[in-house]
Amino acid sequence: MDQQDLTPQQEPSPQEENVPKFRGLYRHVKISVKALDIIIVSCIAVIIITVAINLLNPGYTVTFNSLGGTDVAAVECQYGDLLTDVEPPTREGYTFGGWFRDAGCINPWNLETDTVSESLTLYALWIPQEPQ
Amino acid sequence: MGNPVANLRRRADEFKTLSPKDKRRRVVDGILNNALYILMLIFVIYTATQREQFVTLSSLANLITQVAAYLPMALGIAGCIVLTGTDLSAGRVQGLTAGVSAAFLQRFDLTRKMFPNLPEASVGWILATLLIALAIGALVGLVNGFFVAKFNLHPFIVTLSTQLITYGIILWFFALGGNNGQPITGLSDTYRDAVGGAMFSVDNTPIPRYVLYAILLTALMWFIWNKTTFGKNMFAVGSNAEAAKVSGVNVFLTTMLVHTLAGVLYGYSGFVEAVRSGSAAAATGLNAECDAIAACVIGGVSFVGGTGKISGIILGVVILRIIFIALTMLGVSSSSLYIIKGAIILCACALDMRKYMVKK
Repeated sequence: MDQQDLTPQQEPSPQEENVPKFRGLYRHVKISVKALDIIIVSCIAVIIITVAINLLNPGYTVTFNSLGGTDVAAVECQYGDLLTDVEPPTREGYTFGGWFRDAGCINPWNLETDTVSESLTLYALWIPQEPQ
Repeated sequence: MGNPVANLRRRADEFKTLSPKDKRRRVVDGILNNALYILMLIFVIYTATQREQFVTLSSLANLITQVAAYLPMALGIAGCIVLTGTDLSAGRVQGLTAGVSAAFLQRFDLTRKMFPNLPEASVGWILATLLIALAIGALVGLVNGFFVAKFNLHPFIVTLSTQLITYGIILWFFALGGNNGQPITGLSDTYRDAVGGAMFSVDNTPIPRYVLYAILLTALMWFIWNKTTFGKNMFAVGSNAEAAKVSGVNVFLTTMLVHTLAGVLYGYSGFVEAVRSGSAAAATGLNAECDAIAACVIGGVSFVGGTGKISGIILGVVILRIIFIALTMLGVSSSSLYIIKGAIILCACALDMRKYMVKK
């Protein structure tokens, strides 16, 4: 019912009959059906190859920037994994205040509930210790 | 149209009468014309066999939520595509309005507020902010529409320049109030609840309020496209601007209005996006228009102009979201998703042209 197709059916002039005429954004395009088929098959191939490369190297890499603390090795995870097994870093004179998604330590990463859905870097928050 | 089952039967009978050569050609045509759908079906089936969380109610709820978030921008851009144009400024307009909405609706008791003198986020102030966001979108759309309609400039050029100008304004806005370009966080609870509050939960996955808003918005857009003079004029101008002009359509006004309406929809999507991501950053909305354009082209809104259906746009957004959810679950990196998106757009355009040529 909501079909909207107001394509005017113009009769092509005799010399234009073999050259398909497009309207709109394609009006300068001159292409054969065969060439279009090649483009379509190539695009599909690109998509399949890209996905295949990713499937051969599965998972996401989570890297940790301890911002001055001890180094924490990057971990390889799958979609939906929790980061519960990560050793907390240490730093002289500071207490570790958890991992954050941004270097400014605004968006916290909750180790109990947040799951990995992309490759990312987490940043450590350091709270200065009170002098003894 | 008629009965789809009878239609299918008629086509099957027709197919039986063809010669073997024609039959093969018909099959190849069918496969190529539906190449993207077939490919996506394969991905979906593969993901379903590999990741059991893909075929759950909670996954369906996640899909619905994502579609509701991405649909408004696609509905806006679709109008521009019907006019044989496009809109490259959509993502940045979304970013700007997300930033403005977030800055105006921060928690009242927040210590580092961007604008400390603003009132507490009451219902009235939330509505006022929504109106400001819509107005900002409308203004950018109006500028786009004016240059396209008045000077017949190509929308790619006009909207590319407004995209850059809007980005400049975003960077300038994020530096205001001592914010120094940082993401704007600490949104007020009333605002969060009004947009993203759960209406009900499906399998522990909440369905936010903006799903309802998206449904209402889609119904409104269906009405505008199909039942108003403006909608009919839009298709007439997209189909053949000269013919439309001769038959008394105000091409200038129609083009302006299509772009302004699109801008309003981007403004709305920015207002929602701030709540959806919990904050707004200068990069919010980056390349969002690519997803919207891809969804429209997959959904049959042709660059040929003058063709497109609201149902097609919904289908396009749904298909694109399913494929991205599936690929993310399979562990495809976000950098690879860009390559796939690019290939999908080119492929969808080639398919679009192919269907047009084969029909002729």
